[in-house]
Amino acid sequence: MVRVEEPAKGGFSFDLCRRNAMLEKQGVHAPKCLKTGTTIVGLIYKDGVILGADTRATEGSIVADKNCEKIHKLAANIYCCGAGTAADTENVTDMVSSQLELHRYATGRNSRVVTALTMLKSHLFRYQGYVSAALVLGGYDVTGPHLHAVYPHGSTDTLPFATMGSGSLAAMAMFESRYKEDMTKEEGMALVAAAICSGIFNDLGSGSNVDLCIITKDGVEFLRNFQQPNPRTYVSKRGYSFAKGHTAILSTKVIPLREQVTIEEGDGMAE
Amino acid sequence: MSIFEYNGSAVVAMVGKNCFAIACDRRLGVQLQTVATDFQRVFKIHDKLYIGLSGLITDVQTLHQRLQFRHKLYHLREERNMKPATFASLVSSILYEKRFGPYLCQPVIAGLDEDAKPFICAMDSLGAKELAKDFVVGGTASESLYGACESMYKPDMEPEELFEVIAQALLSSVDRDCLSGWGGIVYVVSPDQVIVRTLKGRMD
Amino acid sequence: MGDSQYSFSLTTFSPSGKLVQIEHALQAVASGYTSLGIKASNGVVVATEKKLPSILVDETSVKKIQLLTPNIGVAYSGMGPDSRVLVRKSRKQAQQYFRVYKENIPVLQLVRETAAVMQEFTQSGGVRPFGVSLLVAGYDDNGPQLYQVDPSGSYFSWKASAIGKNVSNAKTFLEKRYTDDMELEDAVHTAILTLKEGFEGQISGKNIEIGVIGTDRIFRVLTPAEIDDYLAEVE
Repeated sequence: MVRVEEPAKGGFSFDLCRRNAMLEKQGVHAPKCLKTGTTIVGLIYKDGVILGADTRATEGSIVADKNCEKIHKLAANIYCCGAGTAADTENVTDMVSSQLELHRYATGRNSRVVTALTMLKSHLFRYQGYVSAALVLGGYDVTGPHLHAVYPHGSTDTLPFATMGSGSLAAMAMFESRYKEDMTKEEGMALVAAAICSGIFNDLGSGSNVDLCIITKDGVEFLRNFQQPNPRTYVSKRGYSFAKGHTAILSTKVIPLREQVTIEEGDGMAE
Repeated sequence: MSIFEYNGSAVVAMVGKNCFAIACDRRLGVQLQTVATDFQRVFKIHDKLYIGLSGLITDVQTLHQRLQFRHKLYHLREERNMKPATFASLVSSILYEKRFGPYLCQPVIAGLDEDAKPFICAMDSLGAKELAKDFVVGGTASESLYGACESMYKPDMEPEELFEVIAQALLSSVDRDCLSGWGGIVYVVSPDQVIVRTLKGRMD
Repeated sequence: MGDSQYSFSLTTFSPSGKLVQIEHALQAVASGYTSLGIKASNGVVVATEKKLPSILVDETSVKKIQLLTPNIGVAYSGMGPDSRVLVRKSRKQAQQYFRVYKENIPVLQLVRETAAVMQEFTQSGGVRPFGVSLLVAGYDDNGPQLYQVDPSGSYFSWKASAIGKNVSNAKTFLEKRYTDDMELEDAVHTAILTLKEGFEGQISGKNIEIGVIGTDRIFRVLTPAEIDDYLAEVE
């Protein structure tokens, strides 16, 4: 029977698994996928939660994206930093964000952080760690500020400060030595930025810039590229110049794209 | 051996001023044997949207057919072309559906949206989007393409200059990759025209 | 009783080519409380009666106008429980669209999907048609839009429309008052006046509901206090 392709209703398709396993057995390996080696952190301060992330995405040892976004929005009052396989962190957060919106419509209330946490962990647990997303989840709801760490297998922590990703040890070193309760916003931002920078400079999987996200009762401040400690220092801004016609060409085809046909004023069709 | 080395490929897209360029090499090989030298991995979705698919050719062709089908269906349903960003999301969700048995290819998407703003995007085989403002690359020559583009690219290029830069970046990169090459094909798309050029390159 | 031998199964046509169950469903709609919608030049308004069976019912718990997406809202006439099924399915459909394209679903697409569900229930076994008609109001790249969806699964785009009790009176009233260059504020006034026409008893912010969407593309259900302000304006 011919299967008419419809937009996916969700869920995975395992069509190509056996073929890919066969290729693997023959010694042909699947391509490396985009990972976020990553340093992601979060802490609770006096008025809310501050999340932080670096901006490097890697593909093996290649830096695939020098300024990617790792802080995802789940709801107006809940954000989530993701580490691990980029596709997994992206999709798992999008899926939960979608579920939360439906949940808000059904309940008529604002989302709670624990709701997001439960949705995330039940999905991750169901896939037994094969959906490799390590997350730092933070938000502010009716019950106050919350910060959680979510592991790929579905276990979770509830902490005053959390770090995740390959740079988590470097970042945790900063938190363990400097964290105190009831910090001011400025102190909190400085500590989160210092933790991310510690990851950027000491962990090779993390790099480039610092993103911050401050969530309070009154709203969210998303500071994209809050610090840029690694500006480009090489190559002139103007790059190389090639004269027109420098490249040897075999053929050229020019296809005009007409935006639309303009109809000039004219006589109507003769009856 | 990585599966990408089975057929070999090089795909690159770059942003210019109100225009973009997307290019690929022309080799189709089976490991070290070259099978075709007039091959193409860049496909047109609509007038101002192109996709380059690097990787295993059987999956490249299957995926292209699925994407073309989905775009045509969208066009019939919604009576409009997809915006480049919308199309990128579609590709991403089609790839992620096969998270545990992926299509063995990496797409590079380039398009112009309604107000002539260029959009480029690369993806891994699982559909993780990599949105860049300057250039994106894919294929066996991706490492050398990263290097070449990183030094040759400059912002706000006009179509003719953009062509020279992307062509030089492609040719110099495939010269250092034995699995791709045999000339190239470049599409430079601006709001009122598309320039398609085939490049003369080393045939070894 | 002429029709009744063809009404035991809704998948059976009568010799005259009718599906009687659908006509009965339309009857259920026609006996429901009036709802109406007006498309203005810069937005859309939908309004509906919210009469309760007893004064003992907590009117704040009854919601007749609901959001499907941030930029699309819906009002219904007919059976409340049936409408909830459609609202739930439509919201899910909108999220499914968003998950694939990362773009809000256009109003027409959502209307079509909702209508497809309603059609399916006129042709499947073991089910009955929905006893509701919907007025879907939204604002997207194609501007403000108002659609009516009926139990048969047919849908139309309207400048202004009414469903439920007193349809013909309400429609005549709307035909007289409607102008193409109407602004959203005027449309809200007209909507209230139309509802008032066939209203039994004293109209107030507690027994009608109004939903509006303007150029900000945010669909909003007005609070009783806001409705009372509008009521004061039209008087």
